[in-house]
Amino acid sequence: MAFGAVLILSGCTSYSRPEKAETQIAFGSDVARRGLWREAAFRFERAVQKEPNNARAHNNLAVALEAGGEFARALAEYKRALELDPGDTYIRRNYARFAEFYTSYTRTTGKATGGT
Amino acid sequence: MARNSPHPDPLPGGEREKRSRATGVFALVLVAVLTALPAFAGVTQVKLKLPLKPRLPLRGNEKIALAPFVIATEAEKARDRRLQNVDLQAEFQRFLKKQIEKKTKLEVVELPGDRKLPSQNLSELGRSTEYWRALGAETGAEIIVSGSLEFRVEDRSGYKTEEYVSPIDGRTYYRQVYVEQTGFLFDIVFLVFDGRSGEKILQDQFKDFRQTGGRRADELQGLFENLFSLENQILNLFVARDREAERYIFTD
Repeated sequence: MAFGAVLILSGCTSYSRPEKAETQIAFGSDVARRGLWREAAFRFERAVQKEPNNARAHNNLAVALEAGGEFARALAEYKRALELDPGDTYIRRNYARFAEFYTSYTRTTGKATGGT
Repeated sequence: MARNSPHPDPLPGGEREKRSRATGVFALVLVAVLTALPAFAGVTQVKLKLPLKPRLPLRGNEKIALAPFVIATEAEKARDRRLQNVDLQAEFQRFLKKQIEKKTKLEVVELPGDRKLPSQNLSELGRSTEYWRALGAETGAEIIVSGSLEFRVEDRSGYKTEEYVSPIDGRTYYRQVYVEQTGFLFDIVFLVFDGRSGEKILQDQFKDFRQTGGRRADELQGLFENLFSLENQILNLFVARDREAERYIFTD
């Protein structure tokens, strides 16, 4: 926890222009790579608030929400990211992988599935 | 009249040519790197651990009875010597019991070894509500697991086309080589019943295929290779499991 706090504080000093969406994305992705997904989600959420039409921010928020188990919200964010930038390969790949997982996750219990 | 240059070139012609060629190559590499950079810059891959919900809606501490499974390859056992070496029913029951006891909080209820199934047909088994209800009442099990098992050992040896570069002329040729391989196929259909009502609550199927080098690969080892690769999916019927996933995030 102390490590997390130190990391966040040091991050705040190095990302000195928090008002910009890209600063939030940079900081969020930095903490995400360290596995601090709640902080990352918070940062990406801020980025989305700053720039609601930023597909990258929506994609990153979707990944952070997915990591936190908020799948329904993650789905909405992936869809929004794709809507804003339908040609982006990374967003498309993320969405395809998420869709595969989410479909199996929400499969109704008690129904024959016939296959692995 | 030839005039001497005020700044004579200190490099001889060959050296100058070499240098200009090196500069050209460097410039080309630089351009290539700079062109490729935007495609990679600003994206990184991250790993997530995604939870997989249990397929059955359980409290987690139910009593579970492991009934026998229908062995789909029983008829072939007489003809296939390799299948005779494997007691599929016993090995699978032992594996399943061990995994459930080790990785869940379910209480496994022992059944008498000579327990007979009402049918060898999977569909009829699924409809034998009365049988499963009686078994539930007899053992006190809240859930009962049965289904079918299929295990096959396949000789996959044969001629395969292989690329071959001749050490004499350096040319590439294609040749047929005989490769000895054994395939292990495992197919499970799970039927899960409510011990109180006898109703089927879940049917699911898992398949795995492994291939190893050599014609005389061990059957039991092959069977366990199959089982361990399906372990996560089997346990996920009863308890939540994790799955690792990769995603891309933008860094700027």
